[in-house]
Amino acid sequence: MYENFFYQDKGLFLQSLHPAAILAYLCILLVLALLFSNPVYLVGLLLVLVLNISAAQGGEVWGIYLKIGLGFALPIIIINALLARGGETIIWAGPNIPVLGRLTISLEAICYSAAMSVRLFIVISIFCLYNLVVHPDRVLALLSRFASKTALILSLATRLFPSMVRQMANIQEAMMIRGVDFQTGNLKQKLKSHAVLINILLLSSLEDSLEIAEAMHARAFGSGPRSSYQRHVWRPRDSFCLGGAILAFGLAVCAQITGYSTFEFYPRLGCLLKNTMAVFNLVFIVVFLSVPAVLSWGWRRCPYFNAKI
Amino acid sequence: MPVFQCEDLTYFYSEREKPALKSINLHVEEGDFLLITGGSGSGKSSLARALAGLIPYFYGGRLRGRVYFDGRDVSQIDRRLMAREVGMVFQDPEKQLVMTSVEAEVAFGLENLGLPREEMVRRVAEALSFLDLAGLREEFTAHLSGGQKQKLALAAVLAMQPRVLILDEPTSQLDPVASEEFLNLVKRLNEEMGLTIILIEQRLERCFHLADRVVFMEDGQIRYDGTPGQLASWAAARDIPFIPPVASFFARNNFATIPVTVKEGRRLLRQNFRYCKTPPVRPVEKKDTGKPVLVMDNVWFAYPGGREALQDINLRIFPGELAAVLGNNGAGKSTLLKTMAGLLKPTRGRLMLDGRDLNSEKRFVPGRVAYLSQNPNDYLFQETVEEELHFTLKNFGLTDDGVVNEYLEKLELIACRKANPRDLSSGERQRAALASILVTRPRVLVLDEPTRGMDGRLKDELGKILSGLCREGASVVLVTHDVEFAAVHATRVLMMFAGRLVADGPKKEVLGSSYFYTTQIGKMCRGFADGVLTLADALASLELLWPNRKQKGEARFIT
Amino acid sequence: MCFWKKAVFPFLVVCIVALLLVISRINPQLFGQGWGLIALVIIVAAIILFYWRFEQRKASSREVAVVAVLGTIAAAGRIPFAVFPSIQPVTFIVIVSGYIFGPQAGFMAGSTAALVSNFFLGQGPWTPWQMLAWGLAGASAGLMGKYFPTAGKTCMTLFCVVWGYLFGWILNLWTWAGFINPLNWQSFVATCAASFWFDTFHAAGNAVFYLFFGPSFIKILRRYHRKLKVVFLPDANCAHFPHG
Repeated sequence: MYENFFYQDKGLFLQSLHPAAILAYLCILLVLALLFSNPVYLVGLLLVLVLNISAAQGGEVWGIYLKIGLGFALPIIIINALLARGGETIIWAGPNIPVLGRLTISLEAICYSAAMSVRLFIVISIFCLYNLVVHPDRVLALLSRFASKTALILSLATRLFPSMVRQMANIQEAMMIRGVDFQTGNLKQKLKSHAVLINILLLSSLEDSLEIAEAMHARAFGSGPRSSYQRHVWRPRDSFCLGGAILAFGLAVCAQITGYSTFEFYPRLGCLLKNTMAVFNLVFIVVFLSVPAVLSWGWRRCPYFNAKI
Repeated sequence: MPVFQCEDLTYFYSEREKPALKSINLHVEEGDFLLITGGSGSGKSSLARALAGLIPYFYGGRLRGRVYFDGRDVSQIDRRLMAREVGMVFQDPEKQLVMTSVEAEVAFGLENLGLPREEMVRRVAEALSFLDLAGLREEFTAHLSGGQKQKLALAAVLAMQPRVLILDEPTSQLDPVASEEFLNLVKRLNEEMGLTIILIEQRLERCFHLADRVVFMEDGQIRYDGTPGQLASWAAARDIPFIPPVASFFARNNFATIPVTVKEGRRLLRQNFRYCKTPPVRPVEKKDTGKPVLVMDNVWFAYPGGREALQDINLRIFPGELAAVLGNNGAGKSTLLKTMAGLLKPTRGRLMLDGRDLNSEKRFVPGRVAYLSQNPNDYLFQETVEEELHFTLKNFGLTDDGVVNEYLEKLELIACRKANPRDLSSGERQRAALASILVTRPRVLVLDEPTRGMDGRLKDELGKILSGLCREGASVVLVTHDVEFAAVHATRVLMMFAGRLVADGPKKEVLGSSYFYTTQIGKMCRGFADGVLTLADALASLELLWPNRKQKGEARFIT
Repeated sequence: MCFWKKAVFPFLVVCIVALLLVISRINPQLFGQGWGLIALVIIVAAIILFYWRFEQRKASSREVAVVAVLGTIAAAGRIPFAVFPSIQPVTFIVIVSGYIFGPQAGFMAGSTAALVSNFFLGQGPWTPWQMLAWGLAGASAGLMGKYFPTAGKTCMTLFCVVWGYLFGWILNLWTWAGFINPLNWQSFVATCAASFWFDTFHAAGNAVFYLFFGPSFIKILRRYHRKLKVVFLPDANCAHFPHG
C-alpha cells in the first residue's frame, strides 16, 4: 500500500512542468497566502487553487486534505475566538480562567477566525496541489543541482523506502510464525512486539548499507568534484507559468504596501475593498495565477496549442 | 601485456585472523571471458574486489603482494581512473541502486566522474538504448523487477565505458529467465565489444559454456586454472560438485573432450549410443499412503486489489513428502505457501490441517505450519543462536525438553550455538532460522526459495536435512526455481501457472515429461533414456546400458 | 580566506532573515497579521543551513549510505505504528542514531525520515516543521553523545520524553504562528493544551521504546559506527596505501 508515491502520474499538463517552474509557482502561492489577510483576497487565492486542483484531477485527494484541514481548523477557530481581546463588539463574556485570563468572544474575533480558517485551507490546498503535480523524483533532481550529497541521501532513502516497508511486512510474517502476537495484549506488549520489527530491520539494513556504500564506491562516488546531470527541459509553458506567478507576486507586493490586501479586524472590522483599484488588483492577481490552469485547459482541448507550448 | 596481473596476493580483512586470499597469482588477458568459481567463502568475491581496487581501499585490512592493472600498480592508480576503466556489478540488485529514476541511476556514476553535461547525456542515451531500458527511463527504480534492476546496474556501469567488467554472482538473486537474459547480454558485451569479462559464479549451469577460462578457488587459493573442459575432468576426478551436470557426466566417463552444453552432449551421445525407446531405469515410486496432513479443496485467493493469485487449488500433502513447487515469477507460488502457512486466508474454498478446518478460525494460529521466507535474516535478532530457539519456545509457552539440543544437532548448529546469528555464514543463518521455526515440531514445513544464492555443497546439505525431516514424518513443501535441486531431493513436483496448479505428480513423471522444466541431464538424455534426471541416474543407466566397461579398460567412446 | 569564502552563504541567509525581521518591526502590516511567513522563512533557512553544513564536509560513501538507511528505517517505522495514536518510533530511532553517529548525521537522518515518509504518505504544511523537529532531535542527541557520552539509561529516557513534548510544540508553532492572534504565551499554551494528549502519548511511547530497546539499538549502532572507518593495517611487505 505504501509502496507507491502519494503522487500519481496521470500525464497531466501540470505534471509536465519543469520542477523549478512549478515549485516557484507553488512557493509564490504559499507566500501570498501567508501575506494576505483580506478575506476577499484569500477567497481569490482559494479560487485559483480550486481551478488548479480541478485541472490536476485531484478532487478525491483534495477531499482527504480538507478533512485533515478541518482537524487543524477547529482549535484555531476556538483559540482565536476565545483569546482575542482586541475586538470591541463583545458577543459573549465568559469566566476568568487561571492561566488564560478572561474568555470573551467578539464579532471581530469570529471574523478573524473565519479568515484564518480560509487561509489554513488555502495552505493545505497548496500542499495538496504540490502532491498532485510534483513528482518527488523531479524535486530530487532539482535539489541535486544545489546540494548533491543531501539529494543523494534523500533519493537513496526514497528508493529504499518501499523495499523496507515490504521487508517489515515480511518480518512481521516471520515473527507471527514464531508465535509473536501482534493483535492482542495491552499497549505496552503491542509496542514491544512492533518494536521487534524495527530491531530486525535495523540489523538487516545496516548490513545492507555497507553493500550499498561499496556499490557507490565502485561507481567512483567521492572520487572528486561531482557534476550534475539534468534531465528536465524548460518549455515555453514553464516561462508562462513562472512569468504569471512573478507578475502576480509583484502586484501582491503593491497591494500589500497600499493596504488593499490587508484587512483591519481589530478593534473594529475595516472596509473589505477600499476602492476599485483593490478590485482590479485582485482580479489581475487571480488572472496571473490562473495561467497554469488556463494553459492546462487549452492543452487538453487544442492539439495545435499543445504542440506550441 | 595482461590487463590484470596478481603477484603473490595475500589479504586479511580487518579484525580477521584468517586470510581471505592466499598467495594468489593470476593474469587476465585483454578480451578474456574469465569465470572464477568456488564455494561460499572460497575467496572468489574477495579476489574480484581486489581486482576492482575495492580491496583494500574500501575494506581496509592488510594486503601483501601486488595487483597490476595495465602494467601499473593498482595502489598507484588514481581512483577515478580505476572506477572508469574497471566496472563492477554486484550480487544483489537491491543493494546497488541509489537513485529514484532509471535515467538518474545511469547518470550517477558519470556525475561522480565529473563528466560534462553533453557527454553524460550521450552516454546515458547509449547505455539505455543498448540494454533496451529506454522505455523505463522515468520509472521509479524501486518498482522494477529483479532482472530489470540488475540490467540497470549493468547499464549504469557500462555508461562509464569500462574496459573490464567484473560481475560478482550477478544472477544469484534472479529467476532463471532473467539470469539467462542477463548472461546473454554479458556474452554479447564480450563478443561484440571485446570487453574483458571476469564473472564470479558458483552455479555454473548457465555460464560454464560462455567462459574461455575457468579459475577454481578454495580456501582463498587458486586450485585450478584452465579451460572449462579441462576443469571438468580435473574436478570430476576429485569429486568437486561445482561442475554442471552435463560436463560432469562426460568427465566421469573419461571422455577426452568434455562437452559443456546440452547440444554438444547430445551430439556425443548420438555418436556413441543408439536411441533407446524404453527407459533403462524405470521410475519406481511408491503410492501415497496414509491420511493427508494438509488438504486444500477448491482454494481461491484474491488480493485486496482483486488480483486472483490462487485459482481453484486442489491439493493433498501427505506425511513424509517433500514437494517442490515450480513455476514462473508471479505464478502464485509464494501465495500458495503463505496460504498453507495460514498467513493468508483463502478467500474461497477449504483449507484443512490435520483434519481441522482452518477457515473457521478468526485469527492466525501459529505453530502448526512452519514457514521460512526467502530471507532468513527476517528471523534472526537474538544475541545467540540458542536464544533464537528459546524465543520461539517462550512465545508458545513451551519449555525446553531437550528440543533445542535436538534441533541444533539436526541442523548442525551445535558448534555455533553461542554465536551471534548475524556473524554466521549464509548457510548457517538459514539453518538457524529454520531451527527457530522447527522447535515447535510443526507437522508441515514450507520454504520459499531456500536454495537461492547457495552453492552446490550447501544445497546438498540443505537437501539432506530436509529429507531427514521428511523421513521422520514431517511434510515439506518448497518453492524453487532450481530444477536440479528438485530433481535430486524432492519426491513430488507441482507446477503452477497463473495461479493454477497445472501439473502434480511424482518428480520423474512431472520433470521427465516436461519439455522446459527439466534438468540439464534430462534435456540431454531425452530420447536416449527418458526419465533420467540427475547425474546419479545418468551414471546408473550408463552402467545398465554398458556394463563392465570399466573392466574392459580404456574408454572406447567416440569424441 | 577559505573560511571567509565558506562563511559567505550562512552570513547571507542570516542577513536575509534579519532584514525580514527588521522590516516586520517597521511595518507590521507588510507581512500581514501573524508571523506565518516569517516563521516559515526562518525554519526553511535553518534547514538550509543544516544541509549546507552537511554539504561542506567530505562524506564517505559509507556515511552517506548509513545515514540514508537510518533515515529510511525511521521513515518506514511510521507504517506499522500507524495503528497506534501518535506513538511513532521515529523520534526514538532518530535520537539513538544521532547519539551514536553525531549531530550532523542525526539531523540528516531525522529530516530525511520526515521528508521521505511524506513522499509516500502525502506532504503537507507540517513537512518542513517535522523535518526541523526530527532533525533537531537527532542533532541534539548528537550533542548529548558528544558531550555526555556516559549519559545513563534514565537520562536518555528522560531526553526521549522531553523530545516527545518538544516535537509536539515545534509542530504547534506552524498553526500558532500562522493563524492565531494574538501571539502571546497564553495562546501558545492554549495551542499546546489542545495537543497535550497526543504529545503525552508520543513522549510515553518514546520512553517505552528507549527503556526496552535503547541499549540494544545503541549497541547495534555502535558496531556499525566503528565500521565507518576504513582501517589499513601495516604489513612488512605491504604496498603503501594513502590513508583515508
